[in-house]
Amino acid sequence: MTRILPHTDVLITLMGAPHESDLLTSALRLTQALLDRGASVQVWACGYATMLTQRALGDGKPRNLAAWSTEYPSTSLVVRRMLDAHPGRLHWFACRFCSDDRGAVDHIPQVPVRAPAKYAEHVAAAAKTFHLGVM
Amino acid sequence: MSSHAAEPGQGRALAIVERAYRGAVETQFSDALYCAYLFHIHLGGLDLLLRGPAVTYAVRGATPALRLGGQDLHTVNDPRVNLAVLLDSGVGVWVEEPDLPAHGLSPAALLPDVRTVPAGEITARWSAYRSVFYL
Repeated sequence: MTRILPHTDVLITLMGAPHESDLLTSALRLTQALLDRGASVQVWACGYATMLTQRALGDGKPRNLAAWSTEYPSTSLVVRRMLDAHPGRLHWFACRFCSDDRGAVDHIPQVPVRAPAKYAEHVAAAAKTFHLGVM
Repeated sequence: MSSHAAEPGQGRALAIVERAYRGAVETQFSDALYCAYLFHIHLGGLDLLLRGPAVTYAVRGATPALRLGGQDLHTVNDPRVNLAVLLDSGVGVWVEEPDLPAHGLSPAALLPDVRTVPAGEITARWSAYRSVFYL
């Protein structure tokens, strides 16, 4: 099947792992700020960033013993909310190699999995590429 | 009512935190300081030493608002709130003094009840602790 890639103003290549630094939060802030200014964005999640959109995460984090009734959205839900809020202007892809390499093979349906050999096509489809973090 | 140990050690456990800001959106409540509270309860008393960038955890300030996908995310972790919980439960919170000016800060910026120690002073007291670990 031939996929028609979206042309976007920006491609964010998210290489950094979650739970290591505030890079993910910065990446989401940057993505949201770009969207708020009318830009279109695609995110290519690589390395351990492929864990962010796993279906097994569900909608929420495990219960907080100190705040039992507080709902904490999973990263999967946060990404889905962002995609739902910006149809056609935000896209989120996951690297197939990195997903397979980490057993992160069950992404939410809103996140297509792409072979690393296709990465150059995403770069070509974006006016500007940012790399955030290292694998 | 807080009841802080006057001196570090005294058979308590010591947790050292020197890697700071290991995720906000993906971590939310379950950060190192949340675990510190559990260790305090389960290990029979805890002192917490903040070093390096983690000294900024104990500085007065506010966590910036975060809005993603059209929704406010109020549930990201705030180390100041977590430190207040620790202090209130009797955890001794210490900051290595030289790491404050290294980050452009002075002891005057610290939260109430957080105390400073010269570099190496807590290390010299390791034998007074029943366990020492990095968190």
